[in-house]
Amino acid sequence: MFIGLFCGCQSDSYAPPPPVTSQMLAASVRKESHANFAMLREGRTLFVHRCIECHTLPPVWRYRTDEWPGIVSSMSHRSSLKPAEREAVVAYILAVRSQR
Amino acid sequence: MKLALRIVIFVFVILPHVSSFGGARHFGFIYEAPTSAPGSFELENWVTWARTTDPERSDEVSFRHEIEIGVTDRLQASIYLADWFYENSPGHSGSTYSDSALELIYNLTNPVIDPIGLSLYQEYKVGDRLFEWESKLIAQKNFGPLILAYNATLEAVWEGQGLTEREGEFQQALGASYEISPRISVGLEFLHEFLFPDWDDAERIRNVFIGPNVSYRHNSWFVTVTALAQPTNTPDEPEFQLRTIFGFGF
Repeated sequence: MFIGLFCGCQSDSYAPPPPVTSQMLAASVRKESHANFAMLREGRTLFVHRCIECHTLPPVWRYRTDEWPGIVSSMSHRSSLKPAEREAVVAYILAVRSQR
Repeated sequence: MKLALRIVIFVFVILPHVSSFGGARHFGFIYEAPTSAPGSFELENWVTWARTTDPERSDEVSFRHEIEIGVTDRLQASIYLADWFYENSPGHSGSTYSDSALELIYNLTNPVIDPIGLSLYQEYKVGDRLFEWESKLIAQKNFGPLILAYNATLEAVWEGQGLTEREGEFQQALGASYEISPRISVGLEFLHEFLFPDWDDAERIRNVFIGPNVSYRHNSWFVTVTALAQPTNTPDEPEFQLRTIFGFGF
């Protein structure tokens, strides 16, 4: 059963969140984001550390772009995210999405 | 002002304004590598029912009341306010305070972006004629909605008058938890124990426990239930264990 689950989980949608790259930042800026490199890096770190305290990490493609800010906001208290950190997490998720 | 009253005021008046949820457990008998967010605060209550039938039938229900605090991004501290148990056996029946403890978990690597998530665990337990020292290596890997976790635990116990009675244990635990939805997970847990009475392996006592778990989380609380059966039929060891952990953040 586990082998089957392993194979199913290793699909692209469940790949680990990618590191921040200059291409990702450029794509993000093209979408009128005001994110910078440091902000996206912090967003990734927070995304992979804080969210898994309660649940596994959802693929960034699971929800629509306009849904993510509300989703992160609704869980920010539980995950001890300050407003700037919340913004960084959303910026990172949207930056990853903007590459496609 | 009495200490108990101060604690009550701290827990119910001050903490709700400064803290948040510490995180949800997917396993009942296995620890996970991620640690709580800095500044988070959570109260966990454990109830474990263990039934032993060899050489005679007895039931024990043990309780743990634990405060879990996120200290830094990587360090988590827990205080077991009181471990106590109710025992019902042919020779004895009643409740007994067991111990209080301090637990520290330090996270080294992340189970999502690193090849494997690792944490180190250390626990010091003090009770009536009891001192216990427990170290644990926690390993975890997340594959999408699947969590695989492994614990290797080394435990040393000194107890009795003058703490002259000694006992050791090495335990390996392996678990899998699959997230059906963001709120519900189901899985399996497997424990393999090596017991060393008087720090000696002459009796070669080995126990195996295996069973399912289920976890549900919602807003600032979670509940996790694990049922374990022992297929090895070791005398004086529980034939069946059922653990429920209920945690909530403020």
